[in-house]
Amino acid sequence: MNLWRKLACVILAVVLCASFAANWLAPAGYARQYREATNAAPSRTHWLGTDEIGRDRFARVLYGTRISLLLAPAAALLSTLMAAFIGGLAGYLGGVWARMAMAVTDLFLSLPWLFLLITARALMPLNVSPLISVLVTFLLLGLLGWTTAARVLCTTAGSLRSADFVRQARAAGVPGQRLFWIHVMPNLKPVLYAQFWISIPVFILSEANLGILGLGVAEPMPSWGSLLKELEGLVSLGDEPWKFVPLILLVLVVMSFQLLLSRHDEVAA
Amino acid sequence: MSLKPPQDQTLLSARVSVRYAGKQPVLRDVEIEIRRGEVLGLVGQSGSGKSTLAMAILGLLDGKRAQAEGTITFQNSDLLQFSERELRALRGRAVSLVLQSPLASLNPALKIRTQLKEAWRAHASGTAADCATAIRASLASVSLPADDEFQRKYPSQMSVGQAQRVLIAMAIMHRPALLIADEATSALDVITQSEILALFRELNRSTGMAILYISHDLASVAGICDRIAILHQGAIVECGTAEQIFSHPKHEYTQRLMAALPRILLTNKESEPKTEAAVAR
Amino acid sequence: MSGRQRMRGQMSKTCWKSIAVIVICVASFSPHVAAQAGGELKFCLRMEPKTFDPLKVEDEASAAIRYLTGGVLVRVNRQTQELEPELAQSWNVSKDGRQITFRLRSGVSFSDGTPFAAEDVAYTVQQLMDPALHSATGDAFRSGTGNVETKVISPTKISITFPAPVAGLDRLFDQVAILSERSSKKEMAVLGPFMLADYKPGATVLLKRNPNYWKTDEQGRKLPYLDSIRLDIQPNRDVEMLRFKRGELDLINSLDSEYFDKLAATSPQLVHDAGPSLDSEQLWFNEVAKAPIPGYKKNWFRSANFRRAISEAINREDLSRIVFHGHAQPALGPFSPANKFWFNNKLQPQTYSPDAALKALQTDGFRLENGVLKDKDGNEVVFSIVTNAGSKPRERMAVLIQDDLQKIGIHVNVVTLDFPSLIERMTQSFDYEAIILGLTNVDLDPNGEMNVWLSSSENHQWNPLQKVPETSWEAEIDRLMRAQAASTDSRRRKEAFDRVQEIAVEQQPFIFLINKNALSAVSTAVHGAAPVILSPQTFWNADRLTVAAK
Repeated sequence: MNLWRKLACVILAVVLCASFAANWLAPAGYARQYREATNAAPSRTHWLGTDEIGRDRFARVLYGTRISLLLAPAAALLSTLMAAFIGGLAGYLGGVWARMAMAVTDLFLSLPWLFLLITARALMPLNVSPLISVLVTFLLLGLLGWTTAARVLCTTAGSLRSADFVRQARAAGVPGQRLFWIHVMPNLKPVLYAQFWISIPVFILSEANLGILGLGVAEPMPSWGSLLKELEGLVSLGDEPWKFVPLILLVLVVMSFQLLLSRHDEVAA
Repeated sequence: MSLKPPQDQTLLSARVSVRYAGKQPVLRDVEIEIRRGEVLGLVGQSGSGKSTLAMAILGLLDGKRAQAEGTITFQNSDLLQFSERELRALRGRAVSLVLQSPLASLNPALKIRTQLKEAWRAHASGTAADCATAIRASLASVSLPADDEFQRKYPSQMSVGQAQRVLIAMAIMHRPALLIADEATSALDVITQSEILALFRELNRSTGMAILYISHDLASVAGICDRIAILHQGAIVECGTAEQIFSHPKHEYTQRLMAALPRILLTNKESEPKTEAAVAR
Repeated sequence: MSGRQRMRGQMSKTCWKSIAVIVICVASFSPHVAAQAGGELKFCLRMEPKTFDPLKVEDEASAAIRYLTGGVLVRVNRQTQELEPELAQSWNVSKDGRQITFRLRSGVSFSDGTPFAAEDVAYTVQQLMDPALHSATGDAFRSGTGNVETKVISPTKISITFPAPVAGLDRLFDQVAILSERSSKKEMAVLGPFMLADYKPGATVLLKRNPNYWKTDEQGRKLPYLDSIRLDIQPNRDVEMLRFKRGELDLINSLDSEYFDKLAATSPQLVHDAGPSLDSEQLWFNEVAKAPIPGYKKNWFRSANFRRAISEAINREDLSRIVFHGHAQPALGPFSPANKFWFNNKLQPQTYSPDAALKALQTDGFRLENGVLKDKDGNEVVFSIVTNAGSKPRERMAVLIQDDLQKIGIHVNVVTLDFPSLIERMTQSFDYEAIILGLTNVDLDPNGEMNVWLSSSENHQWNPLQKVPETSWEAEIDRLMRAQAASTDSRRRKEAFDRVQEIAVEQQPFIFLINKNALSAVSTAVHGAAPVILSPQTFWNADRLTVAAK
């Protein structure tokens, strides 16, 4: 394990532990409004200052991390697996299957998502808890985010189908299912990794943007997405650097994950 | 064709035509017989349909587009009548294949142990220890180190020769009655090529498995084959013992092939096994 | 939505704003200092103007162009809120409120040289009232069925007779730009200080000085001072702000509090807070009988006691201080104190007292159990507040209210929806519990609010389109609103509308939260600017502005 990987491990461990210890580290909670100290700079009581309505930013970052760090990778995993399964399998099977899968993917890509999401929101009751709302949102993101990756995977898997090693494995009598899982899937890894890592920040931001449709995390619960929204329209960088903490945290965490897992990938390739 | 072997000696006899939808047939009524324990060379230039024949035997023709007609009788059953399941049970166990490019034929994303394990599991069930034993044995029989360190390697971490041996180890793991080597040495440098040829010969002798040795290179075939069939434009034009072919080529195409061979090989033909040994060792 | 009072979404519609308490008028800005400077004034329109025909104006951008180019008979002074003569030297409304007679200025010409006469006024009024035109401006005059009669008494005298009395008739002419009957240039011939010179769709509207404008300043110099006005079409407020800071724009007509504070931090001399405007933000509960929400919730929402308690539990001071950074005032009632004449001075500030609110709820059978408020049947008091996504101030108000109500054991779910979905729920499906939105007053006169207060109106948002008033207080408001509309005696009208305001505060169908201040920014290169709360806040006196060369 090299230095970088150790560092990544430490970062992730600290972030995870801190977010799970949020109840102890920030006992006042993420919703408490210190109305006499809105938009405050960092101080001993508010380590990262307070937001527009006086809520402790440190607490919000901790609780937001808990939400986003669990749900965004989960949704990314879901979409990656769906892409792998649909795109990979269709590409591997080829012929009619590939054409069918691509038709479905095209259909998915061309659907007016905005309206479907609005409909999804309309179907949900207005009185849902913030947690359910954010769960549903990430689930939707996971279920919808697979299409582009599936196209790439379908093509890649299609070319793998006629690869010599697949032919060799078939000639060795390896059954079809195992051919797919053992021989085709591992070779789709680079695409899958890319899909997974790209999806995480994309989903985190999408979740925030879906707030426009009444999806996503609901007030007062924080998520990285809603915390990043604070940076919207920020004119100068230097004045309030503590506002960048959620962004820095997002970049750090995604990079750490990547460092930690891509090593394995490198060896494999 | 003059040399019809006794019926019980026959391992595989085929009389087969293959065509792709809407095109000229690739194989036209090709008749071929492989006896138990013999090494049959199949020689022809690229595009002559050699590989198609190999794939037809294994049932690996592109299912939708290729049509095979005739019979391929292997151990008294017609392979063309086999279901996919029966074929799968056959591949790798009774008939196995070694392809041309060893590095492309191994999965770059998997350790060779995993690949060998998959090959073993395709036809055997047993404990992890049984599997490990089988892997070690087959690696040993192709003169590769059988230790863990080697087994943990990825194909990219091996030489071409080693990779080809791994492929052969995979192919012989279940002691097949017939091994099809499709241009198995063509991509190798001369020294490695002769080493692999020697390995084939030795495996043939020690295990008694028949080898269908497919090549475009008459010279490399000459050294190890008992009989040679010449495939030209989708049809067998000549078939006979190596000696017959080399000394009295009948067909005009065979004669042209012979004419293309370097002279030195032809003059040294009698002492050829020795030459091979000298080169190899 | 039609009518003169509109719900405001992402964009605010045109509205007049009057000066309320504070008028920021810096002495050195007096017009004669740089009177001869001329120059070009540059600012942004936030939307493409939909029309250049002054009679068809419905959007803010078109209204701005109408204000700058159109000549009107009378004008509401944006600073004093008084009606002043323009093309009409004097006017007279008949006792029955059906007829108005104007004495016109003579010697006035349109921008193309065509002389202006009473026939032009008659022509304009007839065009305006043509039902086929569907003019929103014309709708304001429609009080009864029948034709409008115009009678040209002399070239400088005209009387206009309406089929039924029109309340506040004279002030409505502020919106009517006079067209020429004879000019071949149609609506391009104007009587205002500027005329349209160039229009590049999606990019700019260029206005040039009208050489035939009739007005002069106190020294007898011809107005306007400016040579031209360049209006860039720019919907993005960040870009607008950036260009203003670079000096490429001379003014920003309305700023939100966040931008205001950012600009004030670096350049306090550029920003102007003209005090509370007519705009209000309010919360209301769904009182629609057929709404698809649980019956017990309807019972809460239809109880005035419940609504009053909620109102009392909301800390309005914090809303204006935190959400609007102090650039808003707690609302007292339906009309902003900025509306000098119509605001009911007897209204008291809404008290903030969670304890009193809880006590009031307890008399209704509500009780607090372990920090959770339950009604007399044991239902937990939980409801959702919907507001339009993308409006930070409303989202923040919702979050503050959420926190305020938690103190009396009420759990609020804040939901942000895209504007069309919100409107659909608000006006079609009635599938909501509470909404926070704003109201923009297009008019100082309560007649502009008829469509909100009449129980039969579709903009009677908490319970629209009632066939007969469902409550006695709504019946009384209906009666009072109709009475004031039918009367031309301004004292009696005021009495009636004062009572409407009192009922509204008693019943809290709309829980008025705050009145936003009118915020604007004006470059120091502009002389003569005196931002006010009525639209157009910064360029209401465009004919007397000058821009110093840079």
